[in-house]
Amino acid sequence: MSRNRSAIRFVSWCCLSVVLLVIYLPLVPPILFSLAPGEPDAALTLRWYLALWRDPVLVSAIATSLEVGIIVAIAATILGLGAALAIRELRVPRLILALMLLPLFVPGVSMGLATALFFRLVGIEASLVKIAIVQTAWALPFATLIVVTAMSTFDPVYLEAAYVSGAGRWRAFVDIELPLIRSGVSGAATFSLILSFNETIRTAIVQGPLNTVQTYIWSTYRQVGLSPALYALMSLLILLTLGLVAAFVVGGARPPREVSVGDFAAASSQKP
Amino acid sequence: MSSLLTRTRRDLISVGIASAAIAGAWPFISATARAAGGTVNFADIGVGDPGGDWSLFTEASGWNVNLVAIGNAPSAILNVLVAGGGTASYDVINIVGGMQKPLVDNDLIEPLDTARLPAWSRDRNIAEFLAKGTRGFNFIGYQDKLYGVPTVLQGDSFAYLPEKTGPLDSYGALFDPKFKGYVALEDNYTTAGQKTALYLKHADLAKIENPADMTPEEIKTVVDFLIEHKGKGQFRVIWSSFQQAVDLIVNKEVYVIDCWEPMVFVAKSKGANAVYADPKEGYLLWAMAAYLTKNPKRSAETTQAAYALLNFMLGGWYGAKITLLRGYMTNTDAPEYAKAHPDQFPAGAAEKVAVITDNVHHKFAQGGTWQNRWPKHVDVYETEWARFKAA
Amino acid sequence: MLGRFLGRWGFPALPIAFAAVFVLVPLALTIVVSFWTRVGLVVRPAFTFTSYAAFFAGARLLVLERSLIASIEATALSLLLAYPIAYFLAFKASPRAARTVLLLFTVPFLVNYIIRAFAWTWLLGRTGLINALLIATGLTSKPLDWLLYSDVAVLIGLVTSYMPFMIFPLWVSLAGIDRRLIQASWMLGAPPARTFLRVTLPLSLPGVFAAAIFSFVSCFGESAIPVVMGGVGYQMMGNSIASAMDVLNYPLAAAISTVVLVTMMGLLLLWYVVFDARAFLGMILRPRG
Repeated sequence: MSRNRSAIRFVSWCCLSVVLLVIYLPLVPPILFSLAPGEPDAALTLRWYLALWRDPVLVSAIATSLEVGIIVAIAATILGLGAALAIRELRVPRLILALMLLPLFVPGVSMGLATALFFRLVGIEASLVKIAIVQTAWALPFATLIVVTAMSTFDPVYLEAAYVSGAGRWRAFVDIELPLIRSGVSGAATFSLILSFNETIRTAIVQGPLNTVQTYIWSTYRQVGLSPALYALMSLLILLTLGLVAAFVVGGARPPREVSVGDFAAASSQKP
Repeated sequence: MSSLLTRTRRDLISVGIASAAIAGAWPFISATARAAGGTVNFADIGVGDPGGDWSLFTEASGWNVNLVAIGNAPSAILNVLVAGGGTASYDVINIVGGMQKPLVDNDLIEPLDTARLPAWSRDRNIAEFLAKGTRGFNFIGYQDKLYGVPTVLQGDSFAYLPEKTGPLDSYGALFDPKFKGYVALEDNYTTAGQKTALYLKHADLAKIENPADMTPEEIKTVVDFLIEHKGKGQFRVIWSSFQQAVDLIVNKEVYVIDCWEPMVFVAKSKGANAVYADPKEGYLLWAMAAYLTKNPKRSAETTQAAYALLNFMLGGWYGAKITLLRGYMTNTDAPEYAKAHPDQFPAGAAEKVAVITDNVHHKFAQGGTWQNRWPKHVDVYETEWARFKAA
Repeated sequence: MLGRFLGRWGFPALPIAFAAVFVLVPLALTIVVSFWTRVGLVVRPAFTFTSYAAFFAGARLLVLERSLIASIEATALSLLLAYPIAYFLAFKASPRAARTVLLLFTVPFLVNYIIRAFAWTWLLGRTGLINALLIATGLTSKPLDWLLYSDVAVLIGLVTSYMPFMIFPLWVSLAGIDRRLIQASWMLGAPPARTFLRVTLPLSLPGVFAAAIFSFVSCFGESAIPVVMGGVGYQMMGNSIASAMDVLNYPLAAAISTVVLVTMMGLLLLWYVVFDARAFLGMILRPRG
């Protein structure tokens, strides 16, 4: 009986690996092309990995992408937290959820144009602000869903216990609930960062004078063709992320801390 | 508050990386603000980028150039200028010309004062190909006023793999049943559509008076022809990106492809044996134009710097650099400059600039039809092309 | 008083305000513009259905049809793939392994989706890796043409793009099922297949629907994959909108966008009506006395 089960387990892992392989297959060509030499028949080279840092347009695009990514990660997570709270506290949870999920249902092209017209109407010109807003609006539904999901495993009875111990609403939220949904919050932040980094269409319409990595790649792909330096950038990203994943797994995601009596004491002793 | 201060290792790592990234990127961000004069914002479709090297311009004028990559489709440009607040964000935009009508009608660009462009009269290409009254003027002017600086000139036909097809000399090859399933067209009614019209006119297969500005009935005829061939499986794909077209050639996915010449250069550099055809019907001629955006809030110094940039783009160094990088003809100063400055342009490079320039001159001599980027019935063009794609 | 009011409602109100201003207003603007007319190159306020008439009467309707079919096919296929994976990760794998695999599924998304699509063309082309392998192993003698620039290619592109995203809601839904319910079913004598069909599957349906909607909506509005991997002129709604914008026909582009929006809203409404969203929102809703 258990041999059957481990056989099924083994086959399942094999199938899963095949699926992962297929998903990862398109990552191989960029890495291959990043090593390609400039002239045919020359040896494989790593020089594009260095060359990419010497291209000022590319470097400023990387800087912009990073800046925007961090802003979006912070903004979308905070707004997502607020949205999850709103869903819980206010009397119309389904309406709020629908409002938050709205951007998921609109094609990127339409949303980009609509928001750009709105910016022009209102007079917002700062490029970084516009890109950040458009990307935060895109990441918000995802952040909200992740936080809501994390909150769904949190029993509000802990909050009640905190109130009973004398803590204020804000104190209780920050000291009791936040630590327990910490993985959801950091998950929302990470996901928002990823989404921001990957976002192309909406950003391209409102970008103004700033480039992000994605709009730069999109534009070069269409107009002049990709260069090995861009493949090198993509390969670096892949390797960096795989490295982060490995670090995360090896470091070990600690399970959410158990709530203890000490927390209630701490919360209630610091009344607002 | 103690719980908030408890950070996981992961959080620390992310904060650390973020700070390092910002610290590392700061010099680049602030460098652009540190130039003596300021920055000219230059939107370009990628062709006008001289490899990121604006040092000669900065030395001469004291201004930096901030290049932003934008798409070439009318929507990309207009959406960015109209919806994206672009006239305030960009000072000069460098795109394929012929877009004056929508740009001027929407109040987005300014007429140019050639008195402020000393290099203008030196560029003989302008007088030769783009003079007022000729079709070429449509690429840089509108209603008798001049709006664009011609930064690039070119003639398009199609490419083929000679070992698979033998020598080809007519657009008819695109529709030859011998190559069924091994032909690719560009997704653009002003290039592929116009070339088809040119072919149909020359082969007497349709009554088309002017391939550059067709009537709705003529357009319908062209599209019917295309749909007929699509139904027979003539075309493998319609491409819309530079990289895509290059890959189609290099991977030998198709044998005959309607494309731009620089794609052949790139494909050849990757070892593909491709030839850009010299068709008897002639070429599709076009030019890139750099426009000055209309921005009443722009300072006089910035406008002067923008003119300096436009002038710089008519100069020998820029022209030679772009010809070398992209394979297009630029201005007449370029080949002489390259030859005269072997320190900046080694012998092989100067030779290449001269060859490309001669090549394009030959194309213009051959003639053909000037591409029309904004035909009178552009809506019908678009609807009919959508019909072709949906068929 | 105001301070306390803001303190309690300020934070939750922030995202609502944000969404209202930066999502609702632009969308409303789109709907309004879809009724405007176009005189030459200038868009004028009006109230007319010409754009909608142009859309429904023309070849663009075929694009709508194709988008619907392709999205349904891709979503169905993705579900068939994602559900077993999510099930396996939720029930049969250790939490650590599950988390690792889920993380692994996110890595490809840091690669620009255009580069991924173009990588697929390199893999699926006539002289690409897959065909080379097939010929080398003798499975076929000529390269397979239909692997690329075909409906199959678009399907491959859509499924590999969105299937990994779907695993998350499915996993969350499945992992959240109270194990005691399943154990109860066993104890009552139901065989595993029956338990799955009558207990697990129904309880996971909110997640299934969430995943399905996400996939369907994303595929429907997709613009890069059809252009890079599709056959001659393969288009979906995203391309149609971009094409209308290309000639500055903003009312038409807005009309097409509105049609897409209405279709999607219909789906969301369906989800809300068929599945009580409260079940999905779970315990975070405070029981109201």
